[in-house]
Amino acid sequence: MTSGSAITHKARRGLGRLRNAGKYWAVFRMSVASSFAYLAEIAFRALVLVALMVIFVQLWQTTYSAQSGALLGDFTLRDIIWYLALVETLATSVPPLNRRIDGEVRSGDLAYLLGRPCGYVLYQYAQYLGERVVRLAMAALVASTLALLFVGPPPLSFWGLLAASLVFFLSISIDFGALFAIGLMAFWTEETESFALIYSRLVLVLGGVLVPLELFPEPLGSIARALPFAALLYGPARTVIKFDLGQFGALLLQQGLTLLVLGLLVAGVYHLAVRRVNINGG
Amino acid sequence: MRRSLRFLGGYLSANLQAAMEYRAGFWSQLVSMMLNDGLWMAFWWLYFRRYPVVHGWVVNDIIVLWAVAAGGFGLAAGVFGKAPRLARVITTGSLDSYLTLPKNVLLHVLVSATDASAWGDLAFGLVAFCVLIHPALFDLFLFLGLVVLIAVIFTAFLVLLGSLAFWLGNSEGLAQQLMGALISFSTYPTPVFHGAVKLLLFTLIPAGFISYFPVELLRDFRWPLFGGLVVFAIGMAGLAWFVFYRGLRRYESGNRLGAQAL
Repeated sequence: MTSGSAITHKARRGLGRLRNAGKYWAVFRMSVASSFAYLAEIAFRALVLVALMVIFVQLWQTTYSAQSGALLGDFTLRDIIWYLALVETLATSVPPLNRRIDGEVRSGDLAYLLGRPCGYVLYQYAQYLGERVVRLAMAALVASTLALLFVGPPPLSFWGLLAASLVFFLSISIDFGALFAIGLMAFWTEETESFALIYSRLVLVLGGVLVPLELFPEPLGSIARALPFAALLYGPARTVIKFDLGQFGALLLQQGLTLLVLGLLVAGVYHLAVRRVNINGG
Repeated sequence: MRRSLRFLGGYLSANLQAAMEYRAGFWSQLVSMMLNDGLWMAFWWLYFRRYPVVHGWVVNDIIVLWAVAAGGFGLAAGVFGKAPRLARVITTGSLDSYLTLPKNVLLHVLVSATDASAWGDLAFGLVAFCVLIHPALFDLFLFLGLVVLIAVIFTAFLVLLGSLAFWLGNSEGLAQQLMGALISFSTYPTPVFHGAVKLLLFTLIPAGFISYFPVELLRDFRWPLFGGLVVFAIGMAGLAWFVFYRGLRRYESGNRLGAQAL
């Protein structure tokens, strides 16, 4: 038998958790709303995406016309353009999170946020998600419209579509972990932008933004597929375009492991960083 | 002219000294930009390993293209570091502090900052060209001349975009995106593009002049082609100058108080 006080205690804990989740939900909603306030800026950003899509379409049209078969790996021209539309959607929708964290560390704003009744990491995560979702939606709209115009409808399957939201969510969560850790490096280094630049370029090349990883020569292709960068862009985009249950399972495992390692890294770096914060009254 | 060059040299030296105050930051930005460019080269190496000839272009052409484009952009943003931020300078009223000084306003604004990562682009361009192409002496001098011409085109384009702020107000986002488009189009082989896009690359977004002309000239030097590029670069610079000063007539002071060192 369970006593009445134990039930009350459990109910209180449950209520507390709900209230906590509610706080971050409110931060997320606020972030979405404030991103909508800068819709013109997001639309301007889409200009570069238009340029990139035009470049990729013309580059791959030329490449396909220069070779004898209609397939590169197991990609047709239509597959590859839709694949690139998806990876570009993910790659161009990353908010400058590392710059924000860097700024908060250097300006001391971090100290104000630490005093709030919510976890700093989760607060930043909720804010990042809100901003990212709006950027992702705008980039998806632009990239898919252009891909539709250039090569026709996407090669989508029901299962690919169903898996999309999960693998995309995990991908943007991995991005958060990496960018957050880079931003916190401001506690130890003069500037963090160069780390972010290298990270973004590694994602660009090893994440399969420019070309699907199976088109890399071996053993480079196998190495790139095993690296965490593949879990960010190549894996999710390939799952949506060419759904395969085995590969989907492997991707979930890769994303889960990457998130776990990054989570531990972020927790460690954050723990060390917070110990360096000095708050002086006045 | 000599006084302007001395002024430019003085500012450049002061900017570099200021950047070197954060020595680790400066070097990390420089090295990371070289790595960034190197990763792009790695992509193209992979691409040309699979398709050795694309509409007449081979891997050496893309190395030349990247070396000249990175070198030109690096020189432009390294020496004229305020050019990418010109729109913000205009919209925030920060031009005030330059207007009262006896130096040429546009030149003064442009040289009043440097971008540490741009030096990485310039270093990458020089290293990639010398190490991967093994140029003859004439080609090396031609390369250096082309880097200067491309830097003029990049700077003029940045001034044109920044000057839009005189008419449009806050056009920083638009300027950044159009500059991003120019850089993106400039770093892909020109023969890949066709139709209306090709027309665009030799008119509104002058990426064709940055990618096509240097590669052609370093393959097979022809005076008319070189002369065409020189005329285009001078024309762009003249147009940027004209548009900036035409826009300056519309400038309204921000009543900004500030000190301008040097």
